[in-house]
Amino acid sequence: MKNHKISAICLVLIGLLFLFPIYILFMTSFKSVNEIFVVSLWPQKATLGSLQDALKPDFIRSVKNSLFVSVTVTVVAMILHAMCGYAVARMKFPGKTAIFTMIISTLMIPTTTILVPLFMVCKAIGITNSYSGLIIPAFFNAYGIFLFHQFYLDFPGELEEAAEVEGCSRLKMFFQIVLPLSKPMIVPLTIAFFLGTWNNYLWPLIVNKKAEYYTVQVYLANLVSGYGTPWNILIASAALAAVPVFILFLCMQRQLVDGIKATGIK
Amino acid sequence: MSNQRKKYSKRERREHFTAYAFIIPDFAGLLVFVILPIVYALYISFFKWDLVSDKIFIGLDNYIRMFQDKNWWTALLRTLKLTLVYVPGLFCFSLLAAVLVSRIKTKAASFIKTSFLMPFAITSVIASTLWMFLYNEKRGYLNALLNAVGIPDQPFIGSESQAMVSVIIVLLWINIGYNMILFLSAIKDIPSSYQEAATIDGANGWEVFRYITFPLIKQTSIFILITTTIASFQVLDLIMVMTKGGPAKATGVGALYIYDRSFNMMELGYGSALSVFMFVVLLVFSFIQLKLTKEE
Repeated sequence: MKNHKISAICLVLIGLLFLFPIYILFMTSFKSVNEIFVVSLWPQKATLGSLQDALKPDFIRSVKNSLFVSVTVTVVAMILHAMCGYAVARMKFPGKTAIFTMIISTLMIPTTTILVPLFMVCKAIGITNSYSGLIIPAFFNAYGIFLFHQFYLDFPGELEEAAEVEGCSRLKMFFQIVLPLSKPMIVPLTIAFFLGTWNNYLWPLIVNKKAEYYTVQVYLANLVSGYGTPWNILIASAALAAVPVFILFLCMQRQLVDGIKATGIK
Repeated sequence: MSNQRKKYSKRERREHFTAYAFIIPDFAGLLVFVILPIVYALYISFFKWDLVSDKIFIGLDNYIRMFQDKNWWTALLRTLKLTLVYVPGLFCFSLLAAVLVSRIKTKAASFIKTSFLMPFAITSVIASTLWMFLYNEKRGYLNALLNAVGIPDQPFIGSESQAMVSVIIVLLWINIGYNMILFLSAIKDIPSSYQEAATIDGANGWEVFRYITFPLIKQTSIFILITTTIASFQVLDLIMVMTKGGPAKATGVGALYIYDRSFNMMELGYGSALSVFMFVVLLVFSFIQLKLTKEE
């Protein structure tokens, strides 16, 4: 038992070490530009100055863009993947195995290797430099389909039979009965899709060059510029941009952990 | 065909129609935005193209160039270096943490899990800027910490020799919690009677791990090893923000080289050829994973 106590203490200390950078992020955002590079565990003179300076119109617009993009992607992706996963899991139709195999095989395509060609495809369709370019390619992810498929395999069939006896159409059945009962899968996937889209930097950077569509990650990365980096504004902006994600994380931590366990998805 | 079609009743056909209607939006999207790009990359890789002027067909020239391109192979070597440090580091640390946490029955366990997982919620751009701030050579927190224990200032991302390790530390910080949770859930699935029986038979903590826990979480281990290896080949955003491949290309990994060729040099044909090559390499990893997990 003594060993367990020692390892518990060690792990708690390492845990604190993991939290330390995050503490520094939030603490430093209350420091003024003069104090920013003074190493201390508490601001000598706490001020809201840097945070106020961070709230530039460009920053606020980029946060709005990120919110709009992430929410749209998440909502649409949930509906698309739930429908697709449901059809493959519960309905009979010719070509089912072939279609499902093809969907699953796209899991083997690593995102970074298709950045260049995906950009060329979007350019050809004409959706670069627009919300469509930021949003539409982000919907499609075979993981979502796969996980809904696994979920619906274990779905109670009696519900569907009852609905069929009542003369309910498949479409009505899906939206009125199946989807509301899919919460155990929708919740973790919503978190995963929202975080994934909110955090994405490379795709928004590549697909859009117009300042009006910058997402918050692109905005932050643009602030980093060699010797001229305005560190107090950068840290304050980063802290502000981290707040929504941390709130989501702390509220939904149990679901997030369950999600990771159930799915192994990122 | 027409004969076969007649076999289905009207009701069945309606069912088929609904099923296809449910699938088509998602399936068409995957075709256009995931499968088509790979095919298109293969096609473009036979051309010289800068996105503006006409494509010029050059056959296999891009691939021949790739095999002769010293910079490409050095960049891939740096990727390999990153992989060889990052993957074993992540694997060992998250496994060790998971095994130790699984034995803690007090409230401390949930604090440890939360604190380890917290960096996972932070975005890679925020993590990059935050760590650049901590790594600051003259006035950063890490050097202040090192000075306190008598170690002189280190350049971290400012030096060729330390830049890669500094990037890897940030990667570990972000990802250990996530992989620890994966290991933890695998360990929790092992019936506790196994371990109890072994302990009664006089096995110590290490022996329980070596002969019971570790063999029983083999599937999760393989999954984590392969997925992190694949992920390590794709590390790009962190490097683009923190070091831009520098200093003196010390962190110029393969993925960054592809990005530079394609979007900065506007050599989309060559960039596509490199993408196709990278894709094939990672596909091999995926097949190894599939094979290893199917054997069980």
